[in-house]
Amino acid sequence: VSDSNPDGGEFFAQFLDDYFAECDEHLTLVRRHLLALEEQAGRSGVDQPLLDELFRSFHTLKGISGMVGLTGAEQLAHHMESYLRALRQGEARLGGEGVEALMTGVLTLEQVIAARRKEEAAPAIDATVARLEAAISESASESARPAPAGAADSGVPPEKARTWRFEFVPTPALSERGVNVNSVRTRLQEVGEILQATPHVGGTGGIVFEFVVTSDADESVFEEWREDNLTYAPVEESTQDETRRPPQPDSIPDREEVGARAPFSASSAGAMLAPSNVVRVDLARLDDLMRLVGELVTSRARMEDGLRQLRQTVPPAEWRALQETNMAMARQLRDLREGVMRVRMVQVGEIFERMKFVVRDLTRESGKEIKLELQGQETEIDKFLVERMMDPLLHLVRNAVSHGLETVAERVAAGKSPEGRLTLRAATAGDNVLIEIADDGRGVDAERVLARARSRGLVAGDVRLDDELLLQLICTPGFSTRDEADRASGRGVGMDVVGGAVAELGGTLTLSTEKGRGTRFTVELPLTLAVADALIASVGGQRFAFPQSAVREIIEVDPSAVRVLENNEIVSYRGGVLPLVRLARLFDLGEQPEKPFHVFVIGSGAHALGLAVERVIGQREIVVRGLNDPLVKVAGVAGATDLGDGRVVLILDVAALKHSASGGRQPARNVRARTPVEQL
Amino acid sequence: MVTASLRGLPDASFGEAGSGLEAIERVALAPVDLIILDLNMPDMHGLEVLDFLRRHQAYREIPVIVLTTRGDDASRTDALAAGASLYLTKPFAPQTLAAQARALLHSHREGS
Repeated sequence: VSDSNPDGGEFFAQFLDDYFAECDEHLTLVRRHLLALEEQAGRSGVDQPLLDELFRSFHTLKGISGMVGLTGAEQLAHHMESYLRALRQGEARLGGEGVEALMTGVLTLEQVIAARRKEEAAPAIDATVARLEAAISESASESARPAPAGAADSGVPPEKARTWRFEFVPTPALSERGVNVNSVRTRLQEVGEILQATPHVGGTGGIVFEFVVTSDADESVFEEWREDNLTYAPVEESTQDETRRPPQPDSIPDREEVGARAPFSASSAGAMLAPSNVVRVDLARLDDLMRLVGELVTSRARMEDGLRQLRQTVPPAEWRALQETNMAMARQLRDLREGVMRVRMVQVGEIFERMKFVVRDLTRESGKEIKLELQGQETEIDKFLVERMMDPLLHLVRNAVSHGLETVAERVAAGKSPEGRLTLRAATAGDNVLIEIADDGRGVDAERVLARARSRGLVAGDVRLDDELLLQLICTPGFSTRDEADRASGRGVGMDVVGGAVAELGGTLTLSTEKGRGTRFTVELPLTLAVADALIASVGGQRFAFPQSAVREIIEVDPSAVRVLENNEIVSYRGGVLPLVRLARLFDLGEQPEKPFHVFVIGSGAHALGLAVERVIGQREIVVRGLNDPLVKVAGVAGATDLGDGRVVLILDVAALKHSASGGRQPARNVRARTPVEQL
Repeated sequence: MVTASLRGLPDASFGEAGSGLEAIERVALAPVDLIILDLNMPDMHGLEVLDFLRRHQAYREIPVIVLTTRGDDASRTDALAAGASLYLTKPFAPQTLAAQARALLHSHREGS
């Protein structure tokens, strides 16, 4: 493809995007299948559908990599395909070494594709290819048969097994002859493997049984069966995914008893989830859609203001009609917004699948025994967030494996079960998504962190260490209690990057750790970024927007109820005390007049904080626009929005405010939040 | 066992199917007045069979008694939602099954 032709270049870029997306899909499947395959290594009968799925994925990867001219990926996929072909045809026996070669192959393949994506130099593949070749020849000699000649260099290999669709129409006459659905099923099982068996009602109202079968038998065998009302047709390669779906997905809620469903083997169940009625959409198009929704929200707000002004001049009946339309539009707009949001959602399970692979790798390297538990994979999260959170979450998982969990010997010595437990949990909480990474390991060594923090002058000598401060310290750039970052935790991102990424996405990171018992990191992220519900309040004549998801409660406080304790203002709140931050003072907008004011309560328990404002104006749907210019980017301000009257309102970054407020008590202070905002 | 407990029914003949597909084939080949369906079958889930029957005009009206070894409410709700006429949990008294079957047959014949 020549880049001199602008249309061609653009076309190719788009084509490449499709390529990467398709690679991602196949690599996800491959990773899942390889893990399943690993459990079967060494056994004589390896699950055939699993091999078929893997073979197909590698075959596709090879084909599409060739199309975009990524020869490294093409070669890798080709070698893995060859190995699987040998396995499928029973010419090779799968051993641990073989699985290992495949795993390495997939990792290298990922790296080659990732390098192309980032337009970097591709990593060397020679070692991996050699390893795969060794696996092929070794297993071939083991079974005393030569590797399939010629197959290795032909572009498209001859595929022996094909997929067929059989239809059987039972009749009383056939039944008398002993030809019934059971005998047909047995017959088909003898020539191949039944992937799927479903009953249908045919055109004339009679029953038709449909079987999807992979078989390497000759077509002539099937031809004779026509007289038994058993007809056949080949299934095209492109429709195979669809035929692998289980019949009527989701229609039967109670499936746990189905362990013994003969045609479907348990390990290939994941493959059958392959979606067929799914449209792949470029994220940029959804961004555009979301932007348009955002503009609609702003326009409607403008219209509402206009309506309010008309109220005096328009007859009440007509005004009410207009207002009703306006309210209906507000509702519809909200539905539209939620609809677009839902389109952007993907299941967290996608990230968790990746983690499984990583944990498996780390487990082998570290020699630790780890049981990975996943919960809430079906929780949905914005695709954008998934992309951004992948590396930070990987880091947390690596940390848990390499620092958190102990070796078997250490665990036994501590009286724990030899197998460490790592739990990944996702859940929805209001407008937020929670992702937890928890281990039952040794916990963060607070003394060591503290000692290091002291030696670097980060904390005063007498500071009391709690989880929040601990988190703050380990998230300090360049702070690591390991003198030499090991391979597992030192891949590019450190805890400071994790903290930064979460904060950038408007989320919060919390840590809870107990010595000897374990560590839990909780990432709380907003469901979506572009449009949010906000509470609008005024401070010193300025209006500010508070993300509603962060506000627990609004209380009214009389100035006489405020007490001063060690330079901090507090009020009593729900049987405890609530430290106050006066935004007017924080943002240098003049002192608040001495009259009752409102307080937004954010956080909960010991971390609750009250943000004092003068007046609450109301609740609005706002379009969040980031402040990207470093000159106006201020900690404590998450972005800006336009309420429809043309005036810019700043959106407060509640998490950062909380951070800086607690920083007032502690040395890792974030002074930037004190920058006067009216300079904007 | 199930057939034995139904012997008392007058003028009844019985057929057995060992799998979900076989059951559907039987229903298709000869008229059936009552189906007693076990949820545990080697090829299909009992509820899949039931769902199939209920989705097709010709078999929609056949009474179906669902048998299961488990007695949890979710399963009962699912079975009834899928169109089961009755839900029985093993172990059950043979008389109960016979009586229920008789009642269902009676009302079905009257209805049609």
